Amino acid sequence: MSLVSALFLVFVAAVLLLYYVLPKSFRFWVVLAASLAFAGFLGFYTLLFVVLSAVICYAGGLLSGPSKSNAARNVFAAITVIINIALLCAVKYYNVIGLAAERLNTLFGAVDGQNKFFLYAVPVGMSFYVLQTTGYILDCRWEKIAPEKNFFKVLLFSTYFPQLMSGPVNTYANLSAQFEKAKDVKFSFARICDGAVRVAWGFFKKLVIAERAAMVVNMIYGNHQVFTGWYVPLGVFFFAIQLYTDFSGCMEVVIGVSHMFGIELPENFNCPFFSKTVKEYWRRWHITLGAWLRDYLMYPVLKSTPLIKLGDWSKAKFGKKNGKKVPTYIALLILWFAVGYWHGGLWNYVIGSGILHFIYIVLGMIFEPLFKKIRPKIGADKIWFRIFQSVRTFVLMLTGFVFFRSASVGDAVDMYAAIFRRGGAALNWTNFCVSGMDLANLIVLIVAVLIVFAVDAYKYRPGEDEEPRSAIAFLRSRSAILLWAAFMVLLLATLIFGRYGLGYDSGSFIYARI
Amino acid sequence: MTREEIYGKLNEVFQDVFDDEDITVNDSTVASDVDGWDSLEHINLIVAVERCFGIKFTMGETTGLKNVGEMVDKIIAHLG
Repeated sequence: MSLVSALFLVFVAAVLLLYYVLPKSFRFWVVLAASLAFAGFLGFYTLLFVVLSAVICYAGGLLSGPSKSNAARNVFAAITVIINIALLCAVKYYNVIGLAAERLNTLFGAVDGQNKFFLYAVPVGMSFYVLQTTGYILDCRWEKIAPEKNFFKVLLFSTYFPQLMSGPVNTYANLSAQFEKAKDVKFSFARICDGAVRVAWGFFKKLVIAERAAMVVNMIYGNHQVFTGWYVPLGVFFFAIQLYTDFSGCMEVVIGVSHMFGIELPENFNCPFFSKTVKEYWRRWHITLGAWLRDYLMYPVLKSTPLIKLGDWSKAKFGKKNGKKVPTYIALLILWFAVGYWHGGLWNYVIGSGILHFIYIVLGMIFEPLFKKIRPKIGADKIWFRIFQSVRTFVLMLTGFVFFRSASVGDAVDMYAAIFRRGGAALNWTNFCVSGMDLANLIVLIVAVLIVFAVDAYKYRPGEDEEPRSAIAFLRSRSAILLWAAFMVLLLATLIFGRYGLGYDSGSFIYARI
Repeated sequence: MTREEIYGKLNEVFQDVFDDEDITVNDSTVASDVDGWDSLEHINLIVAVERCFGIKFTMGETTGLKNVGEMVDKIIAHLG
């Protein structure tokens, strides 16, 4: 079941009805039953896997809790975390060992050699809930939380249906507090309306923009032997639009649906394309993944004895200021490799959403003292410099998107080569329209992107940790009618201009495949 | 060790880690108040504080500190 489908909306409406009509003491069980049913809709193996993952998580938490000796807790935490991570890596690595898997299938009796067992066995959304459950075990070991004794609470934490497929990645402390709070939430039209506007906004982003931009992206990435020269940056630019509206649209649906239940989920995006630096970009893009990797990977690595010893050695060798950066760079390399690998087991992901960003961030850190000296001299406080910073950061992101969307590293390198290759299709309207994009579609796309840009410009606050402004709160403060009007406009625009219907694969959110 | 004595030592640690002799911290000081106190420098600070007081913060404490006041509470708890 896709989050952008009529079936999902009917499912949510039915669960909401039960949630608010039945006595409050039933709410927990309604959401848990809905979450398991949702996992079941995604496939038997997904259901099996989320339950198995919850069992590992539950046992790992209890065994890593304070009642045992430190050595035993370390062993149990390590075993359960390793099981979790190994399962995740196995699924990621599945992409790489597809051929071996096919052979294994043949052993299991697949006559045509197709990947049947493994194809169906790869659980949806695993990349997200495995991070959550691993975080839970580590939180128990580090005594950030007490291990939960009620298995069903852990089960709901790892299967909560709005965030099961694509996150946001949550912590047990946050989500369990929200579940507790939701017990007393009263039904209100305002709450349902606010959630519905976010859901409609998500549908609009996905169906009107992302699916439309995908036409151009698919044409250029799939045929870069023909569509060379300026077509390549054009394709990458359209992919940036597609990826942002696809993933952030998905998050609008997830957070909006959860809001209707009175369960608030953390935001995953905060106007990322307005970022001044690559470092800032990653504090505004996929925020919960960055926070998870910082707390559960980078900090433990930086605080490990080998890295501390390395820091002491490098400070003695290179001086205090430069020396302390050595372990930081190593921890960052591990972090960015993990970010890339998490996106997919192939090298194009490791480079495009990992190593390349590591290089940009480290170069930024190395040259920061120089930039500090230069900035006052070139009028860095002026608006033109501020715009330049955002454009520069956006272009750097595009360089990674070449790898991210390509089928392989070789393909991505060939995309770069295609920029300078001659003899391809001429850059003109007729050739551009081969993608299926005509003038009407292009106008719809441009207007829709400008609307998203305007909303982001309103929400944007320069401080990275500042809460973005809420467009919904703004509309509500003016008039509830205005909010309903926005909902109706988004709904109609999606129904009229959205790309859906027969032949449309509504299951294909980019991050749901990660 | 009194809270004041801890702050005396803590100020020296902050000044050394962030290379700024003018830094003075108090209970309500947070990361955004100190130039350079980002997620990367946070661990350098934690390790320097641990060494100064001869203690070891847990990972939960390392990632969960809300402000310097909480850090001082944890130091007092570790010192017993």
